[in-house]
Amino acid sequence: MENNYKKEARRQYIHYFCFWFAGIGILAAACVILWAVRPGREEIPRTNMEAPKERVYDYADVLTQEEEEKLRRHIAEAEGRLGIDIVLMTIDYSVEGEDAMEKHNLRYRDWERNMQDIADDFWDQNRFGYNKSFEGDGILLLHNWYTGQTGEHISTSGSVERAFSSSDIDRVLDAVDAYYDFGPNTYTAAEPYKSYIAYVDKVEELLDRSSLPSVPWPVVFILPVFVAAVYAMSHLSQSKAQNTTAVNAYVAGGRPEFRDRTDAFIRKSVVTRKIQTDSGGSGGSGRSGGGGHHYSSGGASHGGGSRRH
Amino acid sequence: MYFRCRNCGGNVVYSPERHGMYCPHCDSEKSGERAESGSSELTVCPNCGGEVPVQVHTSAAQCPYCDSYLIFNERVEGKYAPQLMIPFQLGKETCKQSIREKFMKCLFAPTDFLSEVRLDSMQGIYVPYWFYDYDATCDFQGEGTKIRVWRSGDKEYTETSFYAISRSMDINFEKIPVDASEQMPDDVMELIAPFNYGQLGDFSPEYMSGFYGEKYNMTSDVVENRARQLMNEDSQKLLRESYAGYNTVKTIRQDIRVKDSRTAYGLLPVWRYVYQYNGQEYPFYVNGQTGKIVGTAPVSAKKVWAYAGTLWASLTVIMALLRTLLGLF
Repeated sequence: MENNYKKEARRQYIHYFCFWFAGIGILAAACVILWAVRPGREEIPRTNMEAPKERVYDYADVLTQEEEEKLRRHIAEAEGRLGIDIVLMTIDYSVEGEDAMEKHNLRYRDWERNMQDIADDFWDQNRFGYNKSFEGDGILLLHNWYTGQTGEHISTSGSVERAFSSSDIDRVLDAVDAYYDFGPNTYTAAEPYKSYIAYVDKVEELLDRSSLPSVPWPVVFILPVFVAAVYAMSHLSQSKAQNTTAVNAYVAGGRPEFRDRTDAFIRKSVVTRKIQTDSGGSGGSGRSGGGGHHYSSGGASHGGGSRRH
Repeated sequence: MYFRCRNCGGNVVYSPERHGMYCPHCDSEKSGERAESGSSELTVCPNCGGEVPVQVHTSAAQCPYCDSYLIFNERVEGKYAPQLMIPFQLGKETCKQSIREKFMKCLFAPTDFLSEVRLDSMQGIYVPYWFYDYDATCDFQGEGTKIRVWRSGDKEYTETSFYAISRSMDINFEKIPVDASEQMPDDVMELIAPFNYGQLGDFSPEYMSGFYGEKYNMTSDVVENRARQLMNEDSQKLLRESYAGYNTVKTIRQDIRVKDSRTAYGLLPVWRYVYQYNGQEYPFYVNGQTGKIVGTAPVSAKKVWAYAGTLWASLTVIMALLRTLLGLF
């Protein structure tokens, strides 16, 4: 008999989950079929021939020759898929103060505006942009390694400028910064190569995201835990028997017989209160986010943002 | 005593579905005749002579050898003679179906919980009850307030009117039931109520054939406090209902008195199903007249883990596959 119950339990279990298992089967089959028949990604043809082929400008010399080569290949593959120019530029000099203005022909005293100028001007002067040489599609990461003025600036152009919000710029900078080692007073790059690979990957991930929504992996694993917990709780609760005996269930005739039912008015009191009115209303102002749009000294539109360490 | 079929000699039982005596052996109706035991021993089956295990309060039981339903005369006669009873209105099959319907959605209940074999162990029991009649008088005096709020211009006015409330009423309580069985849990017996007294009639031993039964375990004065408590609570509720509509009521004087009281002894029908799981008993009670069910289904931890775990795994796999699928486009 025990075996019969086990068999019955298995039958109930399979019957209950049969549609779930069938759904998983269908989805898995669809994945396999689509993976098998998916067309190879065609490289987007480049239409701007004025820009140089170099993408890695390591003036600060933080990368080895081998790392630069690998980074170039990585960028080239991503550029073909995304149809944008991805440029990296590292520098190691002061971009702040009077001396820097004089020495490097900078327009401003402050770090941030100079970093922006350097990045935008480098982009414009080199005629970068995958599809055209002025306001073409692409992104540039300028990284300053000068001690005391370390930090990055992202300059976006064309479709990337339109696609990236301020928070997207922050995400790219976060990805770059993830491989830094922050000491109490020192700032040393632990793995610059990994930082720049992360920069390229994050740009690709963010631009891919804008075409189709993607559920993050932690959500894929954690959300079902909550659903399963709620499911278990909802099935564990049982409706308990309630006391359904009416208050007059045992009363002859269903109601008492009144001998006296008097409600005599005694007195009345009135209290007055002045109503406090609230004049005026609160208004809200908002500023839509964006990628820090501005115009470079050459007149080209750029987006972007900086982060100083 | 027991009831024997005039046609085939088999044991005749009362059938709630047929509302009469019925022989399950030859299918004949109204063929039962009362047969008495030749022995003065209570524990000797009058049909087969077998030794019947009889508990101290049992008034009706089934012989484990010949399956005849026996009614013990000395426990339904004399000082134990019930004055009133409601015969079973719902048969075993109807109750089994009710239990199945109620607990069908309990996904995590053990697999055999609603099996035919387990449910077939359900027993119909006539539970002894004391019924109390009270002629009560309630007097109440209090002060009530009615509050009205309105606005005019930039001012808000709150008017409070005070009233002297006076109530005096007679409430005749009829047949407040209190179970007189130590075996039956008091809270369950309260939840299983109410019974429809329209079907309350005189006691007749024929109705007990086919069921188990108990004589009262406790005398009426021992359990009367429960009836008095219910009467007091209901009286207060009826009083409160009578002055509903006031915003606040302050009690000045309240007096509930019993002018007269009467007591009667009777039997009420209850089906009991006891399910054993992991060494623990899970009792279920069904009102043998109205079908109201009291009891909580056990939970199989294995089932909870299996079902919730499978749901989690399935959802995770589905989400992962969907994510992969979207990435392929």
